[in-house]
Amino acid sequence: MLEIKNIDVYYGDLQALWDVSVNIAKGEIVTLIGSNGAGKSTLLKTISGLLKPRKGSILFEEVELDKLPAYKTVELGIAMVPEGRKIFTEMSVHENLELGAFTREARKEKNKTAEWVYEIFPILKERTRQKAGTLSGGEQQMLAIGRGLMSLPKLLIIDEMSLGLAPVIVQEIAAILKKINKTKGTSIFLVEQNVQMVLALADRGYIIENGRIVREGKTDALLNSESVRNAYLGI
Amino acid sequence: MFIQVLSYGIMIGAIYGLVGSGLALMFGVMKYLNIAHGTFIMLGGYASYWLFTLWGLDPFKSIPLVLLIMFTMGIVVYKIVFSPLVKVFHVGERIQNSMLITFGLLLIIDNTVTWLWTSDVRSITTSYTGSTFRLYSVNLPYNSLIGFGLALLALLCLHLIINNTYYGKSIRATTQDWEGATLMGINVDYTYLISSGVTFALSGVAGIVIATSYSITPSGGLEWLLKAMIVLVLAGEGKTKGILAAGLFLGVVEAVGVSLVGSAYREVFGLLAFILVLLFRPQGLFTER
Repeated sequence: MLEIKNIDVYYGDLQALWDVSVNIAKGEIVTLIGSNGAGKSTLLKTISGLLKPRKGSILFEEVELDKLPAYKTVELGIAMVPEGRKIFTEMSVHENLELGAFTREARKEKNKTAEWVYEIFPILKERTRQKAGTLSGGEQQMLAIGRGLMSLPKLLIIDEMSLGLAPVIVQEIAAILKKINKTKGTSIFLVEQNVQMVLALADRGYIIENGRIVREGKTDALLNSESVRNAYLGI
Repeated sequence: MFIQVLSYGIMIGAIYGLVGSGLALMFGVMKYLNIAHGTFIMLGGYASYWLFTLWGLDPFKSIPLVLLIMFTMGIVVYKIVFSPLVKVFHVGERIQNSMLITFGLLLIIDNTVTWLWTSDVRSITTSYTGSTFRLYSVNLPYNSLIGFGLALLALLCLHLIINNTYYGKSIRATTQDWEGATLMGINVDYTYLISSGVTFALSGVAGIVIATSYSITPSGGLEWLLKAMIVLVLAGEGKTKGILAAGLFLGVVEAVGVSLVGSAYREVFGLLAFILVLLFRPQGLFTER
């Protein structure tokens, strides 16, 4: 479904990604693991069109993503839950969700989808009129995910979901994601530093170091590999 | 007597709000500080003036036409002058560069207008100019009343658009976080384009009101830019209600000052209030938090 083929990405003259290839199939949960500055967020910005690759291509269901302006990726069916969540803090929870359904297709289903999101995250329903900036960290993350779901995505990309959240809440959100993936068939791409959680949730994983993919495979294999255990799990 | 002073303050205050709203919209959404804002208001006034003088079109009946002219001008100016700046992402740099660019624009337009139409002070004098409406003991000039109503109407429309339409939502989202807005599928460039058009249309309304109640000159825009900036700072981060309140506040402070000391000190009172607010409430008078 998403095919990233051998891309090089630069910030100005500074190269940040070398020859990166990532594939995500329909209905899969895939993870990208790497430490700070390894190039995770750069890759995500490139997928969402905020950065353009100098070499290589990005295909989403046969459409060349890197040739489109950034705002079009949502229409194609990719929803991004960015690092730091980027929710609209001055607007109410409900307005944030409505903005998630900005594309023409999603707009038609807006009320139905909102009901579904409130069902998945009941806490958002309680807070519906509250300003998004007043929510707790976990609630903000739920809102960011809910907002992403409002666009009825085929692929949901979540950057650093567990950042700054209590383990219990991370577990709760992970379970919900698993359920969404099962019931709706939504593909999920998790970009993470919290390796244990994400390897338990995902089917396959990629490991990125210094802007290059150094390893990929089934999560069981990654979990059992000596180098991954040493570098990321500390055992 | 005091009521009369207050009514003048309120009537001009609404115009200050209108003048401030265009500057605030562009600054809020695009982070462009448009130094030529007052100059574009003058152009709106000139459009209305020439339609009246050459074709005898009543300034309040030609509003749709002036709006259309100014909206189109906003689109053209955005495409040619403003859009290259979109690539500057750093907010501070964007503000500085936009000030430089629009200052250049101001010089060009000022001089062109002077060259075309001389630097004469002009205003639109209709058959009803000068006639007043008497409410109890307060005299209200018709022109000012209509201008006041127009300013309120324009601000109300802006308020409704921003809070109730998808365009308004995309404006508010882009104002808060343009990257986040892009990720929602909002075409930020298009939002900027339309905002530029709407800003210019607001300048057009302000121009009409100023040309009928006051006067226009090629360089008269700077005076109104100053008011707009004061309103912007007083209002703090932009809600339309705050802009109107800030405009009314400035208008009343000035009017009271003038009635106490004389009209030579009009600007002084406005600026004094401005400095006091900056000293004691730098986040603006009408912001929450």
